Amino acid sequence: MSKRIMIVDDSRLVRVQLEDVLKGTDYEVAAYCRSGEEAIEQYESVKPDLVTMDIIMRGMDGLDAAEIILKKDPDARIVMVSSLAYGDTFDRAKAIGARGFVEKPFHREQLEQVFRQALS
Amino acid sequence: MNTAMTREELEQILDQALQDVTEHTAGVRLRQKDQPLGQDLCTVHITFDAGLSTSLTLCADTALLARMACNSFHEEAVTPEDVEEFSNEYFNVLCGKVAGAIFRATQVSAHFGPPTFYHGRYEPEGQEAQFVLTYADEHSQGAQLIHHLARPAQDGAAAGGT
Repeated sequence: MSKRIMIVDDSRLVRVQLEDVLKGTDYEVAAYCRSGEEAIEQYESVKPDLVTMDIIMRGMDGLDAAEIILKKDPDARIVMVSSLAYGDTFDRAKAIGARGFVEKPFHREQLEQVFRQALS
Repeated sequence: MNTAMTREELEQILDQALQDVTEHTAGVRLRQKDQPLGQDLCTVHITFDAGLSTSLTLCADTALLARMACNSFHEEAVTPEDVEEFSNEYFNVLCGKVAGAIFRATQVSAHFGPPTFYHGRYEPEGQEAQFVLTYADEHSQGAQLIHHLARPAQDGAAAGGT
């Protein structure tokens, strides 16, 4: 059975890239949110197996949104997908309980590996 | 940028990031070439707001950004909104690459805000260009990556600069 993914990213380009990369895999895009606020609102009803979360977005950033989702559902599996994969940003993602970090621009193998680990 | 890096080191990081991200994201090869830009331009600007007091600006031929957006969205043609959306994400990823490389070299953790897109050429207020890297592709469409720093306050400026 395929795993349902909720993409949170303010860029439609990332949605296109993720859909490309996940074509023919066991993952399907169940929802697409363009802000942290929208992700928090939709998470309950979508109940995804995994969330991919951008960090730099207008309004609430992805780290704050991930933290709020994880407080409501500590079993949420959130993978940060961002160009800020270093230093204190990386440390904070780990501290709030993100299950992985994928650096943009991403590759299929890297993405699948991080998703597998996050879901294991 | 306010790091212990030389200008040459920073130029090398910017050049590598631009070439890698452009090829990976849009399948376009840009090479440094001293060639003037056309008349129809767009600009994307990002300010680094912690760690580094600086900003980066990409000013490019609209036709180049449109072609890159077509490649990325897998579309024959794109709207101006698509070009803006592509440009913002492309430059966001490019700046992330730059910040990551600077972090690995200096341990300075830089953060930056969302990109801002402009039609035409945009010069950030109160900043001056430190250097400009100029690129062109095989269709002679070009782009400039510009590193800006805050302009130093001048003596007497507060008194009216007389």
